Amino acid sequence: MKQLVSGNEAIFQGAIRAGATYFAGYPITPASEILQQAAARAEEDPGFRFLQAEDEIAAAIATISASLAGAKSFTATSGPGFSLMQEALGWGHAVEAPCIFFNSMRVGPSTGMPTQPAQSDLLQIKGGSAGDYYPIAFYPNSVEESFRLMVTAFNAAEESLSPVIVLADALLSHLYEMADLDAIEVVVAPRTREPLGRGKRLFTGTAHDRMGNVKTNDPEAYRDWLNDLKERHLQVADKYPLFEYFPGKDPDTLLIAFGITSRIVAPLKERFSIFRPIRIYPVLEKELEKVTQPYRHIIVIEGNDGQYASWAECAISRKVMKVPCLGGGFKLKWIQSQIEERLKGR
Amino acid sequence: MIDRSYKELLKLKRFPHTWCPGCGIGAVLKNVAISLRELGWNDRNTTVVSGIGCSGRMAGYMNLDAVHTPHGRALTAAEAIKTVRPDLNVVVLSGDGDLGAIGGNHLLHTSRRNPNITVFCNDNEIYGLTGGQAGPTTPKGTKTITSPRGEIFQPLRLGRILTTQAPYFYARTTVYHLNHFKACIREALFWKGFSFVDIISDCIELNGRRLGFKTAHQMFKWFDERFHIVEGVRDHLKDDELGIAKREVEAEVKAEMEVEKEPKVLIEGLKLFTLEELKHFDGTDGKPIYIGYKGKVYDISTSPLFQGEKRMRCHIAGKDLTRDIEIAPHGEDLVYHFPMVGKLKVKAEAEK
Ligand SMILES: Cc1ncc(C[n+]2csc(CCOP(=O)(O)OP(=O)(O)O)c2C)c(N)n1
Ligand code: SF4
Ligand SMILES: [Mg+2]
Repeated sequence: MKQLVSGNEAIFQGAIRAGATYFAGYPITPASEILQQAAARAEEDPGFRFLQAEDEIAAAIATISASLAGAKSFTATSGPGFSLMQEALGWGHAVEAPCIFFNSMRVGPSTGMPTQPAQSDLLQIKGGSAGDYYPIAFYPNSVEESFRLMVTAFNAAEESLSPVIVLADALLSHLYEMADLDAIEVVVAPRTREPLGRGKRLFTGTAHDRMGNVKTNDPEAYRDWLNDLKERHLQVADKYPLFEYFPGKDPDTLLIAFGITSRIVAPLKERFSIFRPIRIYPVLEKELEKVTQPYRHIIVIEGNDGQYASWAECAISRKVMKVPCLGGGFKLKWIQSQIEERLKGR
Repeated sequence: MIDRSYKELLKLKRFPHTWCPGCGIGAVLKNVAISLRELGWNDRNTTVVSGIGCSGRMAGYMNLDAVHTPHGRALTAAEAIKTVRPDLNVVVLSGDGDLGAIGGNHLLHTSRRNPNITVFCNDNEIYGLTGGQAGPTTPKGTKTITSPRGEIFQPLRLGRILTTQAPYFYARTTVYHLNHFKACIREALFWKGFSFVDIISDCIELNGRRLGFKTAHQMFKWFDERFHIVEGVRDHLKDDELGIAKREVEAEVKAEMEVEKEPKVLIEGLKLFTLEELKHFDGTDGKPIYIGYKGKVYDISTSPLFQGEKRMRCHIAGKDLTRDIEIAPHGEDLVYHFPMVGKLKVKAEAEK
């Protein structure tokens, strides 16, 4: 039966459908509802465990450790908490622990605007922890898609043996839409790794070879290990080249927008073509190249000062125009006027 | 013959290990391995967790599934693992800097949440791995490379912090007081809940030498001057005392006091024991050693586990060990090998 469901409820229910049995988190707007749902769930389902941690450092470490122990696990936070989770994100890649980090973005830097939506943590997906790692990240734009993508993310985590990131924003998290989550059919990947207590393995963030032997002075072993990891992650990412593309009347202009912004600019579909990346990272390079090719003007509209725009520029080796929606302001009228301004005289 | 079977719990293939000759960490690893072996804890039922540091390398040398966390996060990882897998024994092996400084917030909160994990802190009162900087437990006045005129701040008193609210188990010992050290390890492993063993240890290379000690043994002698053993269980330990401070939750203590005094003889010839009476059979003065388990009383006087080590014997004997035995794998089978001599006049923990 269809009923009103919020983005954060869909995220939580998606995790449950994917088989999650462990959640750790720390209160933060706009992600706290997930922690609250986890607490309620733990009350009624003894197979579901949750931890309200002392900080996001602990929440993220607990999420990864629970995964090593054998649970499908997830955590949820917003920008400032995601900053604290960066250490664990790197560790999760090093110990190859499948789990989900959900980040509902609000205006930063620092405490920023706690209740205002933003899309400004894209660089935190990839750039916040030490060293090289190849995270996969998805960003839905509706309540129903939040549910689906959560399951997809859990599957990708199992396949890539790594933390996968799901993004949202303060608007999407608190958006209520009619949805029938029970009716949605999904495919759920099983656990891939043997849980703890089955061997003599070492799960370490210290450099190690493929067998888990610590190798702190062996460039070759390190390269082998990192290449393996990279290849696996890129292969799994390739399985999910998720995007939406709507060709419009204007043959020259393509708008790129994702997450809640893509919903806000949807009324412009009649006139402009719109590309919506759903797999936000790794950047959809091939797809972007193909889609953007016929357009003279590419305008990236996003809730930050050009984070995706710069990735897109790298991917297609061309300049793009930017419409940064900053400080929580995502008004269609304003965005429209900005687009007109960019296109004036071209 | 000396029992060396504990070596099965060590990854000898990875030896020689990374530690300096004379470092106290080896003694911690070895004696923890001996105790785990005695309890039958193995790769099927036990996971070890370490943070970062010289001490943090310990888990990697155990022949068990081991988790090596980022610096300071060992307790959080251990707690989550225990939550997901209550059937696993979870042991943390780490250092004073890892657990007390960068992991200090986790120490406060994991201990407060009281998961059933055991923590062995190799407390060398210094940051060893990074070259000998002052750490959270470095005594005031100690010269280190970051406190060239002597550490000016008070050290973190782990013992006081960890004994503020029951239930708690905090033991302080040193790598030099070997028998005491072993007894603390074992008692901590038996404790149901969060137990922390603060093992004063030596970093001879990057702390001891600067302090003027030529050998690890000289440092051990210094530990002997600084600390003394106190017998029996305390509520708290003074800063120069080695011993065990522990308290059960208030409610549990009360329940034990409520047992009846009159012993009754059962028809089958088995005696009905109260907990008070059971306490009497503690192996002292030639008395047999009885323990309670799931409502029954067993005579374990012939167990090799309880021979020799007087302190251990006094502590374990004469108690209802239902919970302790449940955490020890094969514990149940072991108990059933011993003659049953009676029944307990309290509801067994497991049935509560
Ligand atoms: C986040 C982070 N900060 C700093 C370090 C560097 N570091 C490695 S070990 C260590 C100190 C460990 O001290 P302790 O736990 O007392 O272990 P010990 O070496 O003395 O046994 C530090 C600061 C690190 N690895 N990670
Ligand atoms: S530096 Fe100190 S703590 Fe580290 S191995 Fe050497 S003696 Fe031990
Ligand atoms: Mg130390």
